Amino acid sequence: MMVSFFDQFASPSYLGIPNIAVAIALPWVLYPTPPARWINNRLITIQGWFINRFTNQLMLPLNVGGHKWALLLASLMIFLITINMLGLLPYTFTPTTQLSLNMGFAVPLWLATVIIGMRNQPTIALGHLLPEGTPIPLIPVLIIIETISLLIRPLALGVRLTANLTAGHLLIQLIATAVFVLLPMMPTVAILTAAVLFLLTLLEVAVAMIQAYVFVLLLSLYLQENV
Amino acid sequence: MLSRLVLVSGHTLKNSGSFGACLVQASRSFHQSSQSLAPVPPLPEKGGKVRHGIFPEELFTLLYPKTGVTGPYMLGTGLLLYMLSKEIYVINHETFAAASIGAVVIYGVKKFGPSVATFADKINEDKVAKAQEVKDQAMASLAQGIEDEKKEQWRVEGRHMLFDAKRNNVAMLLETNYRERLHMVTNEVKKRLDYQVELQNLHRRMEQEHMVNWVEQSVIKSITPQQVQRI
Repeated sequence: MMVSFFDQFASPSYLGIPNIAVAIALPWVLYPTPPARWINNRLITIQGWFINRFTNQLMLPLNVGGHKWALLLASLMIFLITINMLGLLPYTFTPTTQLSLNMGFAVPLWLATVIIGMRNQPTIALGHLLPEGTPIPLIPVLIIIETISLLIRPLALGVRLTANLTAGHLLIQLIATAVFVLLPMMPTVAILTAAVLFLLTLLEVAVAMIQAYVFVLLLSLYLQENV
Repeated sequence: MLSRLVLVSGHTLKNSGSFGACLVQASRSFHQSSQSLAPVPPLPEKGGKVRHGIFPEELFTLLYPKTGVTGPYMLGTGLLLYMLSKEIYVINHETFAAASIGAVVIYGVKKFGPSVATFADKINEDKVAKAQEVKDQAMASLAQGIEDEKKEQWRVEGRHMLFDAKRNNVAMLLETNYRERLHMVTNEVKKRLDYQVELQNLHRRMEQEHMVNWVEQSVIKSITPQQVQRI
């Protein structure tokens, strides 16, 4: 059975074990628990520095109530960025290309922010639906628009991550296939295409990191509005 | 290196998790030496040596006695060619994607590896330096305390001179006071005696004047008229 390009959209399994289970468990192996030492090795030092720095930056605009989400958001970020980066390796499966996983992250977390906002400060949370300084005749229309915008947020979060990663992986596979097919026929064109592939890989590395960051940042923004 | 990763993750797997505690306890019966958690044994200074970034040096050392220096390279080449020729590994589009990402990874590691390593080392060194600074400051303040204490002891030795000077001062004051009062007393006594002398002088003068007056009176009285006629 030939590997087709659409196989990546289906969740693969090998010998009855779904690959997604192994792929989701893999990031845990790459971040060892820091031992009870004062000075650690380089890997743990750098991981600890990065996680501390990132959490600090993320928690800056949030008030104290939002700091309860620090562990969740930091671990989500580490998880997403590791999975995205590992997915760039050949013959791997990226769980975040599956819409189910991304919606599974986006919908509950977004809904949590909305419920927290409605429960603790309903007036302020509803007040977000009307931006300041709108002309009076526009108010009804704007409320409807803002409500739709609010309800579409989880969809946007999930689909943004899925689409970016899927598109990137698809592009890499297509251009790699082009290089593979062109190599015996027109080697020069194949070399040019290989250069394009190299640049695309660089882009995909950046996109992998940025998309994970954007996901977590938007969640923290939604939290900031509501907490 | 991946084997080392497996070993390390296996170790962490053993130590973490709910069944990890039972595993540690169960394996405790197999350990012969007494277990102690302190002092924590030090970490090795450098990681395991690797050749070409991923192959551990132990592989080369293992194969050296039988196949010499080129042994592992022949093994690698042979394995690769075997997998290619038997189509166990098929060259497809993923190969080129692998080459591309491999190039990116190797470029990244070669370019940013040393700077990241020095950054990590700097973080640790800053920690050590801070603690060292605290220790040095404590030692410096204690040494300063010793110096100050010695100075105070030296100052105490000179204290007797201060007391002598003060004693002299006080003695001088007393002496001055005594002399003043003595002076005052002599003056008073002299005044009393002078008074008596003046009094006696006064008496004598008054007696003399009285006698002179009486003599004058008697002489004037005794100037009889015949004496007056004679003159």
